[in-house]
Amino acid sequence: MTDDRDFHVRAVAEGGVLGGGGRGKVDGLAKITGRSVFVDDLVLPRMVYAKVLRSPHAHAKILSIDASEALAMPGVLKVMTGEDCTARYGAIPVAQDETALALGKVRYIGEPVVCVAAVDEETARDACRRVRVVYEPLDAILSIDDALSADKPFIHEWARKPSNILRKVDQEYGDVDAAFAASDLVLEGTYDYPGSTHVPLETHAALAVPHADGRLTLWSSTQNPHYMHRTIARVLGMRPGDVRVIKPDIGAGYGGKCDTFCTDVCSAWLARALDRPVKFVFEREEVFYAHRGRHRTKMWLKMGMTKEGRVTGIDFKAWAEGGAYASYGVVTSFYLGVFMTMPYKVENYRFQSHRVYTNHPPCGPKRGHGAIQPRFALELHLDRMCEALGLDPVQVRLDNLIEAGHETVNGLLVPSIALSECIERVVQASDYRAKKGSLPPGRGIGLACSAYMCGALHAVYDNDLPHSGVQLKCDRSGRVTIFSGTADCGQGSNHMLAVFVAERLGIDPTDCTVVEADTDLTPVDLGSYSSRVTFMAGNAALQAADRLRSQIASALAAKFKVPVESLVFAGREVRGAWRPIPWLEAVDIAEGHHGTLGSVGSYKPPKIGSRLKRTSVGPSPAYSFTAQVAEVTVDQVSGVVTVDKMWAAHDLGRVLHREIAEGQIEGCVYMGVGEALLEEQAYRKDGVHMTPSILEYRIPTVYDTPEIQVLLVESHDPGGPFGAKEAGEGPQLSTVPAIGNALHDAIGRWLTNPPYTPEKVWKAIKGR
Amino acid sequence: MLPFPKFSYEAPGTLDELFTLASVSGSRIVAGGTDLLPSLKHRLFQDTLLISLRRLRELRGVTIEGGALVIGANTTLRDVARDDRVAAGWPALRDACRTIATSTIQAMGTLGGNVMLDTRCLYYNQPDGWRASIGGCLKADGSVCHVAPNGAGCYAAHSADTVPALWLYGAILRFGSERGIREVALADLYGTDGRTWLGNARDEVLLAIVVPKAPAGSVVHRKLRARGAIDYGMLLTAVHRRPDGSGAAVVSALGPRPVFVEAERVEDLAAAAHKAATPMRTHAYGVGWRKHMVRVEVERALAGS
Repeated sequence: MTDDRDFHVRAVAEGGVLGGGGRGKVDGLAKITGRSVFVDDLVLPRMVYAKVLRSPHAHAKILSIDASEALAMPGVLKVMTGEDCTARYGAIPVAQDETALALGKVRYIGEPVVCVAAVDEETARDACRRVRVVYEPLDAILSIDDALSADKPFIHEWARKPSNILRKVDQEYGDVDAAFAASDLVLEGTYDYPGSTHVPLETHAALAVPHADGRLTLWSSTQNPHYMHRTIARVLGMRPGDVRVIKPDIGAGYGGKCDTFCTDVCSAWLARALDRPVKFVFEREEVFYAHRGRHRTKMWLKMGMTKEGRVTGIDFKAWAEGGAYASYGVVTSFYLGVFMTMPYKVENYRFQSHRVYTNHPPCGPKRGHGAIQPRFALELHLDRMCEALGLDPVQVRLDNLIEAGHETVNGLLVPSIALSECIERVVQASDYRAKKGSLPPGRGIGLACSAYMCGALHAVYDNDLPHSGVQLKCDRSGRVTIFSGTADCGQGSNHMLAVFVAERLGIDPTDCTVVEADTDLTPVDLGSYSSRVTFMAGNAALQAADRLRSQIASALAAKFKVPVESLVFAGREVRGAWRPIPWLEAVDIAEGHHGTLGSVGSYKPPKIGSRLKRTSVGPSPAYSFTAQVAEVTVDQVSGVVTVDKMWAAHDLGRVLHREIAEGQIEGCVYMGVGEALLEEQAYRKDGVHMTPSILEYRIPTVYDTPEIQVLLVESHDPGGPFGAKEAGEGPQLSTVPAIGNALHDAIGRWLTNPPYTPEKVWKAIKGR
Repeated sequence: MLPFPKFSYEAPGTLDELFTLASVSGSRIVAGGTDLLPSLKHRLFQDTLLISLRRLRELRGVTIEGGALVIGANTTLRDVARDDRVAAGWPALRDACRTIATSTIQAMGTLGGNVMLDTRCLYYNQPDGWRASIGGCLKADGSVCHVAPNGAGCYAAHSADTVPALWLYGAILRFGSERGIREVALADLYGTDGRTWLGNARDEVLLAIVVPKAPAGSVVHRKLRARGAIDYGMLLTAVHRRPDGSGAAVVSALGPRPVFVEAERVEDLAAAAHKAATPMRTHAYGVGWRKHMVRVEVERALAGS
C-alpha cells in the first residue's frame, strides 16, 4: 500500500504532515468552542418528540396494552407498540432477535415497551405513564447458572431451536493434554470479570425526517451509519436508496453506539406514520438499559509452563453473561478466545466459550470487545506462574513473544510486532525491575501485555465488497473535500483521513474538508468498530489521494516538461519543475488539463492466515501490541487502592498524529482504571439495575486518574497506511491486569474479580 | 434529557412574603437547587410550589455577631469556604464545604440547603420509572423499605457534609415563619425516620446558621467517598479533641440522624463511635466495611486534630 514511497519520504523530509506539520485537528476548534452540532441541537419545523415506557419486569408476558388514556391527552399524536413494527433485527445477521419495542413479552427491566410521540418531551413522557400495560411475570434468568440450567424457560422461545445459550464455541489446536504432561508446572485458576458500560457523554439520539417523495432521512448518534442504513431500510420495508442515514457530531460511543436502537427505529416509524420530523433523545438512565457494554465473564484457565518459563499450552473456558438480546454476542463468543495466545508463542490451545442470554440489559461491544476479560485472566495467570517458578515476569514475557511473520496456532498472521521494545521501554521508564518485590508494604508494581486487532477481515454480513471507500473532490479553490462513510465518534478519524490526503498532496490537513457518514453523499464504510478506521479507511484515502496526485502531477509534467517522478508535493506547493508551483496554481493547471478533478479509493482486506477455521471470527490484517506497568498504593487499613502512575507503551505501527494517538492511549488507560477500581454494571437479584445514573455508576474523575506516561512505539506495518495500526482500543487490554499484578505485589494476594473496591481489598487483606 | 415535571415558582422580595408562601401546602424552599432540582426531575415530589430565596439579600452573607459566626441560609458553600474568618475560627466547616460534590456545585449550593438536605438512599434517589419497577419505597410512593423490609421506618441516610462539624461547633439554626423567629440547636433538629428527619415545622424557613465561637480544642472533618469529587459521602465524620483529654465525634451517612458520641478519654472515641454506628444498606458499599471505616475515620480525624 505504500507505493511511491520515495515521494512520501521526500515530502516528510520537507516538512510534511508526518514530519510534524499540521497539528491542528480539523474539527478541534468547533468542538472546543461549542459549534459542533449533535442530534439534539437539530431543530426542524413541525418537529415532535418521542419517549418510551419501559418494562418494570425482568421477564414477563405482555397480556394487554391500553393506550386510550394517553391518546386522549392534549398534545399526544401517536402511540406505537411492538406490534407496529415486528421485523426482527440485530447487529449480526445470524442472530437477529430484537424488535424496536417489546413484542409479546419483555426480557429485562428497562426494555422499551410503548413509544409515544407528542408535541413536546414532557407530554410524551407523561403520556407514557398513562399507558396501562398488563403483564404476567415469568421465571427470570438472572445469572450464568440460570442460563445453563435445564429447568428455566427460554428467553427467546420464538427461535427455531430455543436455547438460553446464544453461542457455544469449541476450538482445539495442537495437543493441549500432551503439552501439559510435558510441563514443569500446570496451574489452574478461575477469574470473574465484571460487566461495565460505556458512559458516552452524549446519550443515544435520533431525528427522523420524512420527505415529500416518500424518502426518509435519519440523523443518528451512531458509530455504524452503514449497518444502520441496512437495518432501517429492512425493518421499515423501504428500498435502501430511499433511506438516508446521517451521523452528525457525536458525543462518543466506545462501542455503545454500534447497534440500532429504539431511538432510531421508533423515530423513523413515527416520522412516517405522522409525516412529521420526530426526535428521540435518551435520558441518562435509558443509556444504562440500552447498554451493549462489557459482558460479565466467568473464566477458567489452565496453563502449562516449563521451568525455564516457556508456555507450553493453554486450556481456557469462558462463560459470558450477555443479557436479553444477542447484539454482537456471537462475535463476543469468538473474541473471548481468538486473541488469547497472542502475543505469545503457544502451539497448543483449547478454547471453549458460552455466550448466554439472561434477563438483564443486553451486552455488546465495549472498547477491547471480548478481549479484555481473557487478557485479564491470562496476564494475572502468567504472573502467578512466574511467582510459583521463581521467574522474572518481564523475561518470561520476552522469551515467549512471537515475531513478525508469525502465524498463531489459531491462524492469525502477524505482519508486524514491536512488543519487545514496548516491554523494554515501560520496564525502563517505570524502573520495574528495581521496584518489583522491593517497594514498601502496601505499594506494588505490575506489568501486563496485550494484542488487539486493526479491523476485522470480514464484514458482519458476508460480502465481497470494499470495507472502506473514499472520494476526493478538488477544484480551483484549492480545497480538497474528502467524502467518507466513516463515523468519527470523537477519536479523531476525520483528522486521520485529512492527514493521509494532506500528506500525499503536500497540503495541510486544515486545507481539507471531511464530509463523513452520510449515506446519500459518502461512499460506504463499515463504521467505527473493531479499531478499523485508520487502517482501512486510511488505506482507501491513500489510494484516492495517490490517484488525485497522479492527475495533478501528469498535468504539471506536461506543462513544465519534466518527468512525473521528479515532482514532490510538499509545503502547499509542487517542487521539481524550474520553479516551485503553488498548490492553487497546480490545481488550476490540472483542472484545465483534465477537466473537473476527482478520484476514488477503496480498501478490501487481504485474505491472510491459512490455518483458520472457516467459522472463526477475529482475524485482522494487522495487530497492535501494548505493554503497561502500573504502580499502586494500597491503604492497608481501609483497602483503598490508588493507582499512582501508569506507563503505557503501544506499538501503533506509525505515529500519524502524536497528540491524538497519546489521547487515545490515555483514554484507554483511563477506562481501564475505571474498570479496575470503580465500575460495575450491578443488578439486584431481581434484575433491577442498581446504579443507572452517572452519580452512582462511578467513572473516574480527574482526581481518580493516575499520571499516565505514554510511549509510542513504531513497527511500520507493511499493510498499514504509512505503516500505521490502531491506537484506540488495544491499549485498554493491559491496564486492568497490570493493576491486578501490582496489587499482588502490594498486598500479596491475587484478586481475580475486579473492580478492586476498598471493601474487596480490605476483605482480602483481612483474610491474609 | 430528563425533563422537569410541572411546578410553580415564586421569588418573594420580603421575608413576610416568604413566610406567607412557605405556609402554602406543598411548597418547598429552593436555595441553590443542586439537590432539590434533580430530585424534582426524578419525580420524588409532585405539584410543587418552589419558593426561591434569590431576591432576599438578607439571607446571603457571613457576619460576626458577638464572636459568633452568622451565615445567611442562602450563602453559597463557596462563599463560606472562601471566608477568611470561617477559615481562621471554624476550619472544619470550611473543609466540609470544600468536599461537597464539585466546585461548580459549591458555587451554586448553599449552607442552608446543605443543613436541610434530604436524606438519601440507593432505593429513593432514582428516577420514577426505576422506582416503579421495585414498587416504590417507604419514603416515596411505596410501603416497603428495601433497606430493612422488617424495620420500623425509613433508614435513608443523612448526607449533609457540613452537619457533623456544625454539630460539634454547637451551631444554632434560626428559623422564621409567620409566627416569628425561633432558634433551634442543630443537634436537636434531626429525627430518626428518613421521611420526617427534620424537626422544624413545615412552614418554618431556615434563615441563618449561627455558629458560636469555636470551642477550645480542635475540630476536624473527614469525608469518605468513592472518588475524589462528585460523590455524596459514604461516611461523614467530625471529631472534637478537647483540652481536658476528652473527645466527641459525630458520624453521619449511616442513617437518618447523625450519631453523636463522647468519650472521657479521646483514645476511646473511635471504639465508642464504632459501637454506636449501625450502617444500613443505603449505599452501594457493604455495611461491614462501612462500620469498620467508622473506627478508621474517627482515628484518622483525631490524628489530624
